[in-house]
Parts: sequence; C-alpha cells; structure tokens
Amino acid sequence: MEDWFARSLTFVIPLWMSLGVHEWAHAWAAHKLGDDTARLLGRMSLNPFVHLDPVGTVLLPLVGVPFGWAKPVPVEPVRFRRSVPMAWGVLLTAIAGPVSNLVLAAVAVGLLAVLHLGFADFPPYVDAFRALLLVLVPLNVLLAVFNMLPIPPLDGSRVVEGLVSPGWRPTWDRVQSCGPGLLVAVIVLPLLVGVSPLTTVYLGILDGLGDFEAWLGG
Amino acid sequence: MRSVGIWVLLIAVFCVVYVQVNQPEKEYLNAEKFVERVETGVFDELWFDGDETAATSDSEHVVTRDVLDEDQWQAVTATGIEYRDGKPGVWQSLLFYVVLILVAVVAVVFFLRRMQGGGGGGLGNVFELRRTRAKLLDDGARATFADVGGCVEAKLMLGDVVDFLRHPNRWLDAGARLPRGILLEGPPGCGKTLLARAVAGETDAKFYTVSASEFVEMFVGVGAARVRDTFETAAKNAPAVVFIDELDAVGRRRGSGTGSANDEREHTLNQLLVSLDGFRPNDRVVVIAATNRVDVLDSALLRPGRFDRRVKIDLLTRADREAVLKIHAKEKPLSDEVSLAALADETDGFSGAQLESLLNEAALLAVRRTRLQDDGEKPRITWQDVRAALDPSDSRDRVFDQLDAILVESTTQLAEPTGRAVVRCEYEDGSVVEGEVVWMDASFVKLRRSDGSGLVIAKHQLRRIEPLAGTERATDVRPDAFVGRHPDAL
Repeated sequence: MEDWFARSLTFVIPLWMSLGVHEWAHAWAAHKLGDDTARLLGRMSLNPFVHLDPVGTVLLPLVGVPFGWAKPVPVEPVRFRRSVPMAWGVLLTAIAGPVSNLVLAAVAVGLLAVLHLGFADFPPYVDAFRALLLVLVPLNVLLAVFNMLPIPPLDGSRVVEGLVSPGWRPTWDRVQSCGPGLLVAVIVLPLLVGVSPLTTVYLGILDGLGDFEAWLGG
Repeated sequence: MRSVGIWVLLIAVFCVVYVQVNQPEKEYLNAEKFVERVETGVFDELWFDGDETAATSDSEHVVTRDVLDEDQWQAVTATGIEYRDGKPGVWQSLLFYVVLILVAVVAVVFFLRRMQGGGGGGLGNVFELRRTRAKLLDDGARATFADVGGCVEAKLMLGDVVDFLRHPNRWLDAGARLPRGILLEGPPGCGKTLLARAVAGETDAKFYTVSASEFVEMFVGVGAARVRDTFETAAKNAPAVVFIDELDAVGRRRGSGTGSANDEREHTLNQLLVSLDGFRPNDRVVVIAATNRVDVLDSALLRPGRFDRRVKIDLLTRADREAVLKIHAKEKPLSDEVSLAALADETDGFSGAQLESLLNEAALLAVRRTRLQDDGEKPRITWQDVRAALDPSDSRDRVFDQLDAILVESTTQLAEPTGRAVVRCEYEDGSVVEGEVVWMDASFVKLRRSDGSGLVIAKHQLRRIEPLAGTERATDVRPDAFVGRHPDAL
C-alpha cells in the first residue's frame, strides 16, 4: 500500500509541477495581453497547489490513472488590450501553456547535462533528482503535444479557433460541440486496439534521453 | 517566494520518496550463501545490529539471520568491506515515513480548508449553530408603558407581569401562579413588540428578544437546541423576559404541514412546549410571544401553563388613536391649527405603526417645504403637511376631490378650497387659462394666476374645469384629459 502510494507520488509530483507551470503560463500570457482576471484570482502563480483540481490532479493520478487535468485558468478575451485582436489574444494565451511545457522540458534537459558534467558518479539523492528530470522531460513534451491536439477542451482547439477563417467558423463550431466525446475517443480508441501513442512517445523520448546521457557520460 | 518554497519542497519529497522506492530489495540468505555473495566483492558496506548481518551496495542488499563463525567473519572482512553498526537505511525509511505523514496532513488540511471555504459553515461552527440567537435588549431600546398609547387591557395584563417580576414575593405569598406565557395577538403594527419592550423597560429584568424564525436552520436538531439554549440562558439570568416574535413561524399546528418535510419545525415546536413547561414555579422567567396568526397555532401552545394568557390587541379606538398621536407628536413641532383629535377622527382603522408613520411623513414634508422656501424659518408641521401625509396618493386625486367639493358647494354658496387647487379652465372658444382657485360660487370662479394676478371668470363661459395639481406646481403634472362636468349641469 505505502509502496504503491509512494510510486504514485513519484509520478504525481512532476505532474503537479508541469501543470503548475502550464497554467501559470496561460495566466501570465493573459496578463501580458491585458487580461488580469487570472491574476486577480491568484492564478498567476507557479505554486501548483492553486491550480490543482481535487479529482483531476490529485485523486486520479494518485490511484494510478495516467490521466488528469488541472483547474483551467479563466481568460476573458474582452479584457485584452485594445491593440490585441481578440482571436490572436486567445491563440497566444492558449499556446503559452504547451510552449511553457516545452521550455520546462528544455530546462530539465539542461539540468540533466549539468548533472552529468558535475558528477561522475551519482550519490543517491542526486540520482533521485536525475530521476525527477527523467520524468519531467518526456512528461512535459507529452503534455505539450497532447494539449496541442485541436480537440475542444484542449489548448490546441483555441489555437485553431484563432486561425480559423470566418467562412469555416460554423463547421468548426459544430466540431467543437462534440469535443469532449472526440477527446475520449482519441484517448480510448488506441488503447482498445492495443496501441498507446502517448506511452510510445514517452518511451521514445526516454530512449533518446538515455542516448543523450550516454553521450554526455562518454 | 512561496512558489519557490513549494517547488523545493516538492523536489525534496520526490527525492526522499524515490530513494526509498528504489531501495534494492532485501535478499535473505543463509550464512554460506551470504559469505559467498559478499566474497564477490560487489558490496560496499557491512551492517551488524546483533540479530542480522547485512551487506549493501547501490543495487543489492543481502541479509542473513545466521550467526557467522570466526572463519566466515574473516572471509567477509577480507574483502575490504566497510563495517557499520546498526541496520542499513534506517534513517532513510524514517525520513520517508515522516514525509508520507506530512504529505497526508497537508492534504487533509488542504481539503478541510477548501470545504470550509465552499460550504460557508464548516466544521468549526457546528457548536456555535446550536447557540441561541436571542439578543439581550439594551437599555436604549427599552420603552415604558407611557410610550404605549391605548391597549388598555393589554397594559393591565402585562402590568401584573411587571409587578411579579418586581415584587415576586407579593404574588408567591398569595399562592398565585402567574401566567408564564403571554401571547400577544393582533394585526401587524398594533404595538405587540412595543408592549414587550415596555415590559422590559418597566422592570429591570433581562430582556431576551428572538424571532421564532431564527430557531429554524437548515440543519436538523439545531432549532430544538436553540430553543433549549434560549431558555437556559434566560433561566440563568432570571429575572428575565423572553420575547418570541412571530411565533407562528414555529408554532404552526403539528401534522398539518406538507408531508414530513417539516419534521424539523415540529422538533423545534416540541422543544418549545417542553421548555415552556420546564420552569420551576418560582422561576422568574416570563415568556411573551407575539403573532398575528393565532388561528394557525398548535393548540398545545395555548393550553393553561403555556401561553394561557392571550392578550388580543384590537384595532385602535378613536381615543386610543388620539393617545398614540399625542405620544408620537410629543417631539414634533406642530402648528397650532393641527388638531390631533381631528386627525384621530380621520384615521379610522390606522394601526399604531401607521399613525407613527403618518406623523413622521408630515414632519418630512414640513422640512421639505421650509427647505424649499429657504427663509430660515424653523420647520413646523402644519395641517396642510398632515393632510398631504395622510393621503399619499397622487396629489391630483386630491384636487379632483377638492374640485368636486367646491363645485358642489359653489352651487349654493361661496366655496373656498381648503388647500391649494390648481385648475385649468377651458373656455367655450377653446382658449385656456390656468390658475389656483381662490373661491368659487354659483356663477363665478376666481383664479390666481402664476404671475400673481387675479382673474374672475364667469362659469357659463367655460366648457370645463380640469384639475392640475394640489401642492405641486402645475407644470410638474402630466395634464391628462379630465372630463369635467359642465358647471351648468351641476
């Protein structure tokens, strides 16, 4: 039991960090564009706990469901500065989250390199930190990719919304209305046929990191 | 800053947990196998705590419970392994458990705080909920019987209570049991609350006032607990008066409600019944309740020993009204022409509250009037103000009545309006003149126009007379069509 809980923690903690950065990035981008709704709600914070959703970010991951969500950061496009077209503002705030995850992944890769340059042999706690980085990198890449899927509750849909031309708008709205169903389908269908693209990507990145570490070490 | 702390904490928790989770699994071996493994030289540390001997490296952890003999010890130490006392990884697992407990505590606190934030109440307030909501009336809000106009019967009855609270022995010596519950019933605004406050003012008893609806909460059992607490508080501070306003909120007949949804109210009522019974005979606690729906009260509330004394407060009589008006006019500067007796005549059916409001309204009007005149005169309430306050309806209606009256009067005599009546007179040829009516008789109307000039018009020249306004300026009133009676037709 405690072993299982501890193992969940080693996954959940990096997840919290990543989601915290992700949501902070939305809030920060909105703030920069003139909408301080999120900031006033105290959401412009890197503290992951203000973004936690009790079910989506705590309960599900802790019981081992490799799936979750954070409390979405509210964005009010009408409060953007006049100089920012609303569609563009929405696009920028939406894209800020995934981009921040990529940045976090890059930082983690950087730290990994620093570790390898600093230590020839890892003491246990440095090794643990390395393990944290090894979770953070693929997790954040995955979060960025997954969130850029153009399916409505995800950030990618808002990016598309910003790009879609007025003529296609009705079609897009219709697609949006069945978004949640689509999302479930996208997650569940590959699992049913025995493929898990997310896991494949995750393991692929881990492989790449292994090569990278070997190269650094050698 | 806080975020940085939390990140450091999260990283630390991760590391501790990770190290613990990735401890190499223990392998239990017998002495020979143990020595064999150690002799391969992969282990860094040798541990001995009296019962077990263990050898550890980063990836392996072997343990034996057998006692190693001399040769075996030598073989093991010969590998150059470092010797330590105690068990391996003890402090690490200790740290791990501390962290786990910390995480659990933080999570619980986090969720509790969330629940409190969202739920409004929260756990901390459960006991506060059960406390009485009764308020101790402060001296400023106390009244005396002199402040109550009329209600002679009620005053008499409550006078007994007051005397009982002041000189209990006089009553106890006579073996009298005073009614401990008095139910004041009467239409809204007839002075039930004022009477109760007067009781408080006449004695030095503690006066607790509570509205019956305050007993009922969304939580089951709270109402009953509050009733109990109210009476306990009162009993502790005897002599005391508990005033329950709007008793019908909980005192409704039991079993008549819609289904079982009102169980909570019934519990509250039951507790109220028990609490009313509960005083010892010489408890100097008196309960006064007020309601204007005595017909819906549970009969158990009304039986002797509970609210056995029902004081019905009727609508005020003419004399009562005059008394009430006198009380309320005491502080107000009235003009000499204002006759309270005449006003009492006109206010048939008014309750005390309405009379108070009427005089207050007149005072407001007086202030407004003098403020508009702005001649430094102190506001005095004139009869005109009182009339204006008495009839809050549109001033034009008043002009209608006024005009009707003077038109009727003027057929037989010279008639003057009692107030200001602005009219519009339309000649047969369509031209129009407006002005204030000065007088009118069978043949002529005298108007004072806005420029101050007077004008006498022969009635037979007019097609109709239309009222415009009473106290307002004519231009403030929407002129709508008044089908005036032709003066000749009157």
